[in-house]
Amino acid sequence: MMNLAVDTPWWLAGLVLAVLPLFNSGIPPSAYPWLPLLPIDPLSQAISVVLRACAMATIAALVLGLAGLHQTEQSRERIGYGANIVLLLDRSNSMDNTFAGKTPDGANESKATAARRLLSDFVEQRPHNLLGIAEYSTAPLFVLPLTDNKAAIHAAINATATPALAYTHVSKGLSMALDLFKDQPLSGSRIVLLVSDGAAAIDPDSELQLRVAFKRQNIRLYWLFLRTANSPGIFDKPQDPRDDNAGAMPERYLHLFFSSLNIPYQAYQAESPDAMQQAIADINRLEQAPMHYRERIPKRDLSGDCYLWATALLAVLLAVKFFEVKR
Amino acid sequence: MTSNYLKNYRFWLLSLALLAMLVAFIRPTQNQPCPIYNYTFIIDITRSMNAADYRLDGQAVSRLDYVKHSLRGLLAKLPCHSKVGLGLFTERRSTLLFEPIDVCQSFNEIDTALANVDWRMAWAADSRIASGLLNTLQMLEKLDTHVIFITDGQEAPPVNPRYRSDFAAVKGKAKGMIIGVGGLQAVPIPKFNNKGEPDGFYRPNDVPHRSTFGEADVNSEKIQGYNARNAPFGSEATVGSEHLSALQENYLQVLSTEAGLHYQRLTNVGELAKALQIPDFAEQQNIAVDVRWQAALVALCLLVLVYVRIVCKQSKLSNY
Repeated sequence: MMNLAVDTPWWLAGLVLAVLPLFNSGIPPSAYPWLPLLPIDPLSQAISVVLRACAMATIAALVLGLAGLHQTEQSRERIGYGANIVLLLDRSNSMDNTFAGKTPDGANESKATAARRLLSDFVEQRPHNLLGIAEYSTAPLFVLPLTDNKAAIHAAINATATPALAYTHVSKGLSMALDLFKDQPLSGSRIVLLVSDGAAAIDPDSELQLRVAFKRQNIRLYWLFLRTANSPGIFDKPQDPRDDNAGAMPERYLHLFFSSLNIPYQAYQAESPDAMQQAIADINRLEQAPMHYRERIPKRDLSGDCYLWATALLAVLLAVKFFEVKR
Repeated sequence: MTSNYLKNYRFWLLSLALLAMLVAFIRPTQNQPCPIYNYTFIIDITRSMNAADYRLDGQAVSRLDYVKHSLRGLLAKLPCHSKVGLGLFTERRSTLLFEPIDVCQSFNEIDTALANVDWRMAWAADSRIASGLLNTLQMLEKLDTHVIFITDGQEAPPVNPRYRSDFAAVKGKAKGMIIGVGGLQAVPIPKFNNKGEPDGFYRPNDVPHRSTFGEADVNSEKIQGYNARNAPFGSEATVGSEHLSALQENYLQVLSTEAGLHYQRLTNVGELAKALQIPDFAEQQNIAVDVRWQAALVALCLLVLVYVRIVCKQSKLSNY
């Protein structure tokens, strides 16, 4: 389980140097008239072996340190609370207006600004969750894959400060959001959080595809609908039955479509930043089921330990030099 | 007795080695100015970028695929602490997918986002390069990043020279580079049906060959069949080769000069990395660099000397 690796493998060639102490002890030989006269002394032999081993270990430690020995990045499975969430953000033009449908002024922030601020807070509150981001206007935009990299998520949320794009084509956006979960071996619930201020009719082709995909991927859907003043809401019934169709009331029909998917689905209709905050807090509270997640253990540099060992052994070798006797 | 080990050269070698290692622990890192970079790549995802005039592993690949391949290769070549952001261009403006993020810490995220760039993400169909560039430079002005605008320079529909974008507002303020993509030989542009499946190539009748917006840029009396109300651009049928696409290098060079940007043609990853890592774009940042290796190398050499010299001495002794 150690999974050791080095940064620059060619330094390991230096390990050859570690055999040098086998050929000499590093102690100057003293001349004796007749060597067989000396009795065999196991203690001396043991000391000699230990000293050579010390020297070899020192050289090896230095070389390993130079090569940049480290323990590779690992992960361990843990159990936490939360969910895997894909944020699906509406980038249509109207998001740049306030909840009153006006150009933002000092007092009232735009829907996009409010969403950005509140989503950033939301992300901060979910430390162990994987988050992905997809956006859509006329076409879907893939932004970030499911990741626990909070810096990247914040950079993507901040980037929505740039002017919004064109129209609202929600079905393509939903397909893109579901695609983010494809081929992901994930435990814990899978959530799509749709943040939009409008809706569009879903064409029959994509309707069928979406129905299948929602079911298959086992998605829980939250729709945070940012309602502009005087615009139709998602729960409104039309006064004139002739208006009761997807073209005239896309919000209502998108809601009906989501309700008919037979998946856990919850819609929030927010008419102000405060209501939006309420809704996000609610989602945050609801989605705290236990889940397995992999905690990343970053690469650990071991060259410091190598150098420490080398220094200690050097000190031993030096200390031994003080005991050398020269006749 | 004390003087014995002082005369011993091995004692000195070992002392110096130990000293070197102690220095390594006292001063493990050194602040060195390292060049780091901050780029925001804006990729053109208009239809002409689908023209296949690059080759990768013996296969013809589209300009967009080659751009993605090159940028993904580039990521690995950028020094750590550099930042990379990503945006897309189509119509006459760009959108930013994410602000610049650390290229080492967020390598996987940037790489995956690049891999998923697709022409189908285009939210509108025109390709007004000059106004898109101007819009992008203004949009990213506050971000303090180098805008790398990657395009083939194919304006669709063609620009009326009378209504060209004026870069005076951004010249000098904007920093960055235009990367020209594509071959100089005009090639057909693939067409796709509304399900996104390949459907042949664009034909001459599919695309406008000149701008019919506003007034013509030449003296109207000289235009054949000119009628101020009914035919402000004359009555002659336009012929052109706008259904084919080649890298409009001259045009992009003019644009880059007007906007005060650099220009480079995309050939391969190595050239791209070299063109982008120029002092003009580099920001020197003091980064604590690990210098323990210097001390460790000194200690290793000294230690090896302790055991190497003796080999000679012993051989002398045995001769004796």
